[in-house]
Amino acid sequence: MPTRTPVWSLRSVSKRFAGVLANDRVSIDLHPSEIHGLIGENGSGKSTLIKILSGAYQPTAGDILKEGRPIVLGDPIAARRAGVSTVFQEFSLVPQLSVAENIHLGRLPKRHRRIDWAGMRDNAVRLLADMDIGIDPDRPVGSLSVAEQQLAEIAKALSTEASLLILDEPTTALGLEEIARLHGLLRRLRDRGTAILYISHRLDEVTDLVDCVTILKEGRVVSAAAESRVDIDFIVGRMVGDVGEHYPKERNATGEIALEVRGLSSRNKVTDVSFDVRVGEVFGLAGVLGSGRTEVARALFGLDRPTAGSVLWKGRPLDLASPKAAIAAGFALVPENRKFDGLFFNFTGFPNITAGRLDRLGPAWAISLAAERAAGRALVHDLEITPAAETREVGNLSGGNQQKIVIARWLYAGAELLILDEPTQGIDVAAKIAVYKLINRLTREGRSVILISSDHEELMAMSDRIGIMSHGRLVRVGDTSSVSKIDFVRASAAAGAPAAELSQ
Amino acid sequence: MNLFKDIVGPLAAMVMVALVVALTTNNFLDAGNLSNLTLQVSIVAIVAIGSTVVIFTGGIDLSPGSAIALLTMVFAEVVRNWGLPIPVAIVVVLLLSLVLGLVTGGLTAYGRIPSFITTLAALSAFRGVAFMFNNGSPVFQLSPDLEGLFYGRVFGLPLPLLYVVATYAVAFYGLRYTAIGRAIYAVGGNPSAARLSGIDVRGVQLVAFLVAGLAAGLGAVLMSARLNSGSPNYGVGLELSAIAAAVIGGASLSGGRGNIVNTAIGAMTIVIVQNGLNLNAVPTSFQNVITGAIIVLAVGIDMWRLEIAHVLSAIFAGRRRGPALVSKKEA
Repeated sequence: MPTRTPVWSLRSVSKRFAGVLANDRVSIDLHPSEIHGLIGENGSGKSTLIKILSGAYQPTAGDILKEGRPIVLGDPIAARRAGVSTVFQEFSLVPQLSVAENIHLGRLPKRHRRIDWAGMRDNAVRLLADMDIGIDPDRPVGSLSVAEQQLAEIAKALSTEASLLILDEPTTALGLEEIARLHGLLRRLRDRGTAILYISHRLDEVTDLVDCVTILKEGRVVSAAAESRVDIDFIVGRMVGDVGEHYPKERNATGEIALEVRGLSSRNKVTDVSFDVRVGEVFGLAGVLGSGRTEVARALFGLDRPTAGSVLWKGRPLDLASPKAAIAAGFALVPENRKFDGLFFNFTGFPNITAGRLDRLGPAWAISLAAERAAGRALVHDLEITPAAETREVGNLSGGNQQKIVIARWLYAGAELLILDEPTQGIDVAAKIAVYKLINRLTREGRSVILISSDHEELMAMSDRIGIMSHGRLVRVGDTSSVSKIDFVRASAAAGAPAAELSQ
Repeated sequence: MNLFKDIVGPLAAMVMVALVVALTTNNFLDAGNLSNLTLQVSIVAIVAIGSTVVIFTGGIDLSPGSAIALLTMVFAEVVRNWGLPIPVAIVVVLLLSLVLGLVTGGLTAYGRIPSFITTLAALSAFRGVAFMFNNGSPVFQLSPDLEGLFYGRVFGLPLPLLYVVATYAVAFYGLRYTAIGRAIYAVGGNPSAARLSGIDVRGVQLVAFLVAGLAAGLGAVLMSARLNSGSPNYGVGLELSAIAAAVIGGASLSGGRGNIVNTAIGAMTIVIVQNGLNLNAVPTSFQNVITGAIIVLAVGIDMWRLEIAHVLSAIFAGRRRGPALVSKKEA
């Protein structure tokens, strides 16, 4: 079908961030009247690619072509003017303003130098009717359901003439019915000639909608649109690929049970979750974003008070009332977002390492900086962290070094159970392997690890057993060998589908 | 060595300001003027310890000026009307200053109201309470023993200088060598990470306000001793001088960064400027404008650091390799 000239193309586009190649010579053709799926796991470079197309990032190398001619999208405004409209995962709506105002935000129509309220409203009514979106343009956006907000966001994106519409995970907040409505809208837009680039984790949904797919993996195109079949098995095969050598997995699990979680519930999603973690074991927690993986970690670390259930550590029941209590029990949480929750950017490496256990530096009224230096140097050497960690604030270190410093904090604290939430997100392959080796070392020393990751491949390779979360429940637990790769990815993908019951 | 690296910038700025003042006035370097300067700086410097510690946790304290007014009135009340001996009266004032810190700190940390608001409210309320004593009139001639506390000398050194050195020594030690000091920086740097590291974030915020309260209490005692009186009009604008001292000393208003010693240098800088303006007979109204301008400039230099480094390295690039300045900044 696509023999026409593409309206937008990327030619061998690369984007490098401090040592990480997020996009590696990516080429994509986007044709008018075509919905193009962009698929890949977290960290495969999808977001970077979208940001390049929407002008937020500049490519390190390669060209963006509009109707065959190179074009520079210097910033998001330039990209919009050139005809690229993007609906990002995070809404860009102002809750206090009406739907009509939001649609025209930043370019309110004027008459006689005053805002033309009537004209604006008419325009919004026409636009919403045109797209068959049944939302009252006068309602404040904050009073809309999440799904309606999503539709309003799309209406806003379409209010300027766009030759390319990009949607980044537009269905995360939507139920089945709303997804169907959205898809109907996108098909109508396609039939009118718009090129659409559609990003989603939900494979069933993607295969239902798109005309062709490009599959990304580690920043590269592993299957271009021309050679991809729009078929779940094909896509999963390409996405997962071979679990290759860069997972140096050691099996250190013993028979001895370290952690017993029984019927754990919290106010924050977790519902009746039970599992065991053995000494030296890596227990993988899988599930789509928002399935409750991170919330299990929060409950275990004393951040969300459990409402039911019990947690036993080496046979002793624990009262996990606060992170302090959890740390005292020997638990550690390496949070999903090390920038927001993990690191002290006002400190150099060593105070970051000792922050979890200042009491080990001597009495509270006389902490020893010499002891801190000694401990810091030993861990920096041991974990092969850059020696610059001693003198530089951690913001000046690479992502891999930053992650190792957060892990070093818990080694210093003598943690016995480490909960690693997305420990390799946003770090390069070499640093990932270093983190895997560190996980091996932890388990070899008899510590236990709960590994949370959206990178299925990593989770499969590095875990001894895996539990799959869905809607706050642990729906399946098994040895990694008993779960086939494809079943596993499918289970996660399907787990997202019955989201209808969640949205109000 | 680390300390020296921290303070060299603000120290250089202070010396430059002092040079300008010395060159533009006749009697800046007179022994009498310098001694007077020490007396002037002492109260601001001590109060600024509290302001700085709160700033380190990422908060702000607008209340010490009003707290001082209230505390000097309480001091006057317990000395004059209750007849308490001076040492006991001082203890009462210091305990009450902790209570004031407990109020602002408690509302901030546990009431989760931003410190800007709680201390702005306290700025109004504390002074209001101060006016409830003695029908809102100042109380003079508290005690003949009182002035010695401020104007006395030990080994030829003015007592206020010793107070400043002693309080800063304690503050420096506390911030650098105690767990709570480290926690103060940690909370200011990243409260979320601090919580995940097992630090009691709210408790730490409260402690910072207790320190601020106590610093205001010490300031109130010195103020009463200096003027041998209590007045609901004392300390107007003192919070501004104290915050200016912290900011000129390089404390980051976003929290977590700064060295307390620099606050003393910042306090001296601002007092030298005020002194210079006085010696040059600049009217008070205009002095206030200049104080405002200095605060903006000090914060501006912090905010524009990158741009300034770019400009400087562009200038230096002609002579030397450019990145020298950048790496110095990162080190």
